[in-house]
Amino acid sequence: MTVLGRRRFLGLSGAALAGVLGASGCSRTSQQEAVTTAGADVIRWWDHFQPLKPLYERMFAEYGKAHPGTRVEHVVYNPSEMGQALQLAFKSNQIADVHTVAGLGSSEAALVAGGWFSPLADPDAIRAKLPADSLLEGLHVFDGKLYTFPVFTPRQYTTLTWINRELVEKAGGDPDAGPATWDEFRALAARITKDGGGRAYGWIQGLQFQERMQTHVTELAMSAGAAFAIIPGAGEMGLVDPRTGDYPYASEPFVQALEFLLSLVRDKVVFPASTSLDARTARARWATGVAGMFFDGSWNIGVVNGQFKQFAGKVGVGPVPSPDGEPVLYGAPAQGQLFVSSKSRHVEAASELLARCTGPEFSRALAGYMDQVPLDLEAVATADVHPTYKRAVELFGRNVRLAPSPVSRNPAVTQVISEMKEQRPTLGEITQGILSGEITDIGKSLREHNGKLTAERERATRVVSGKGVRVSLDDWAFPNWKRGEDYTAEMYRQ
Amino acid sequence: MSTMTRKAPAGGRLVPARRRGLAARIWAERWSYVFLLPTVVLFGMYTIWPIVSGLYYSLLDWNGLGAERPFIGLANYREAFGDPLFWKSLGVTLLIIAVTVPLRVALSLLVALVLNNPRLPLAKLFRTALFVPVVTTTAIIGVVMGFIFDPAGGPVNQLLLDLGIVDQPVDFLGDPATSLWTVMGVHMWKWFGITLVYWLAALQTIPVTVYEAARTDGAGGWAALRYVTLPMLKPFLIIIALLTAIETMQIFDLVLTMTNGGPFFSTLTTEVYIYQQAFAGTTPRLGYGAALGVLFGVFTLVFAAIQAVGLRYANRVRSSS
Repeated sequence: MTVLGRRRFLGLSGAALAGVLGASGCSRTSQQEAVTTAGADVIRWWDHFQPLKPLYERMFAEYGKAHPGTRVEHVVYNPSEMGQALQLAFKSNQIADVHTVAGLGSSEAALVAGGWFSPLADPDAIRAKLPADSLLEGLHVFDGKLYTFPVFTPRQYTTLTWINRELVEKAGGDPDAGPATWDEFRALAARITKDGGGRAYGWIQGLQFQERMQTHVTELAMSAGAAFAIIPGAGEMGLVDPRTGDYPYASEPFVQALEFLLSLVRDKVVFPASTSLDARTARARWATGVAGMFFDGSWNIGVVNGQFKQFAGKVGVGPVPSPDGEPVLYGAPAQGQLFVSSKSRHVEAASELLARCTGPEFSRALAGYMDQVPLDLEAVATADVHPTYKRAVELFGRNVRLAPSPVSRNPAVTQVISEMKEQRPTLGEITQGILSGEITDIGKSLREHNGKLTAERERATRVVSGKGVRVSLDDWAFPNWKRGEDYTAEMYRQ
Repeated sequence: MSTMTRKAPAGGRLVPARRRGLAARIWAERWSYVFLLPTVVLFGMYTIWPIVSGLYYSLLDWNGLGAERPFIGLANYREAFGDPLFWKSLGVTLLIIAVTVPLRVALSLLVALVLNNPRLPLAKLFRTALFVPVVTTTAIIGVVMGFIFDPAGGPVNQLLLDLGIVDQPVDFLGDPATSLWTVMGVHMWKWFGITLVYWLAALQTIPVTVYEAARTDGAGGWAALRYVTLPMLKPFLIIIALLTAIETMQIFDLVLTMTNGGPFFSTLTTEVYIYQQAFAGTTPRLGYGAALGVLFGVFTLVFAAIQAVGLRYANRVRSSS
């Protein structure tokens, strides 16, 4: 019998390990080669729309039937992981033919300039199926070439008042309309809390989710008269007063909006655990009947219908409450969601596939998922959806106007946004501080925040201008903007 | 320098090792180096390389993903020194250390003294019960504690209300006045068992003969504790306190799952702030996060240096006693 010495054993183990690694390396290479070989018949599609997965897969199946031999490979990413996947795949030439841009943290203009996308083939066919004014230079069109188009509507907001009909009715409220004014909201919340006797409260919200609270405060401020020019995707750094181009956070509507929320806390009508909840957990608690009202977007009923079906029949919806009951909100021009990669060898096929995401039929199918609102609002009226979803979309159509966007005037402003550093505490964090009692002087904290953002934007503009880019603070102001009216594509050219 | 010489051949002279060439010396010890290689490679990959790359990233204006990452020298460090949230987070971290370390060390010593009594029934069960939280996943504890301290029906609030101690539920995690103290309490409970084990190990080092001698000299339980146990544990106190302090600085997962640094920064520890800057912000700033990480690393090193000095002092005290 051969005796295996320690050194010999180690040597053999090392050789075996090297062999295994080498073999696995070979198999990986073979696998990659197989994918590449099969790539001639495969269009790869990456997005982050998990709730819409069945919709897209049905569309891909129909495309496959119409184009035998061509298959669409669909991957749905977690939004938080998508940016990293795209960066790595783009660098290594493995990016999908069609993809969204979630998590890249760059504007469409910067990505087009960076060579990420191909212009869409047969753009006229796509233009013909889109509503007028939905395509803007700097967002969808670059140097006259169409790169993308909006799939979701810009006419929507996140601060709809969702209602537990039973609790609201019991407290004497109107379960079909919801409270219209801040005073009505406050009074109704107080009555629900009183009737609840410690088991139900007037209002529940995910106060820990400060980014969402920032959105609610911004929309409540709009309902109180604030108006914005908006850079989509830029958060609070991209919201300015369209008349002056200045940041609006120190204005009276923001103070009033925060005082309204604070009054709910002081009235003790807020569900006690709200401070530790985010949007999802707040919705889950709301669906158990612990609170009468809850602010959320139109997708709320889609989630309730999917996860808390027994509660869906008790749900009603009203508009964002406002001081006078007649809110006017402004929506950012809708961004394009899907792009054809510059690395794609199937630009025509991918463009044809993308073109299927337009038109009333697609909008109706999209509405059926009660998630994001389709670009064509009228299609929702004939879609098979929960009545509250239809009402939410009606409210959007009635209350939301198109805001101007500095990006469409001068795409270089996105470079200023990229150069800007987040100013903390953010508006969402300030909101958290005010509602938790840590900040007592609302006006002062908003003025300071506004001042910091203004100084940071001036610094960033100087830096970007210093690189020879033509950009200035004038790009943010729209003197021809009119309150209560849509800012149309034509108005950019005036 | 006895280790620098090799045994001379019979009848020969001693040859100092340093006179031989480096290559020859390496060759002579080649198997030692071969066996060291895996450790060196792994240590290099997982410790040295991250440190070096972290230092390098701290000099860049980089979001962590993009191809553009301009070199900006020490600008991130200058920004960190003027960043009130960084100092706030450091203050919160120090407060957690200042409050929980002495309490944890003292309380666990008391419990260890009790559990070390061989006549105590169920001592093993108590030890295990106190150690279970240590091996439980911190993130799970963080999530479960959210329910336990829930102001709307959580068991803690229910108990307080039933006993009449409060007439309104306490928002333990949502109120800036109570959130940090609640996190500290949970942190102490979670890691209490490990400090307890340190003390129990330390107690095993006291020879039984010393107690026997003390008893012979007429010492009772209290006198034995005061004149034998505590003096002989003194060297361990420094080590255990410093180990506990360094552990306490790594409170990231618990804070993230319980409060995410809120409400309004009241539980914002430095680790959570670094994470927010590097990965979780609207615009991630890996370069700045790396600079904060380096500064926090220096802060931790100061503790480690104190630990080293303390260890030396403890050894000296121990050998002299």
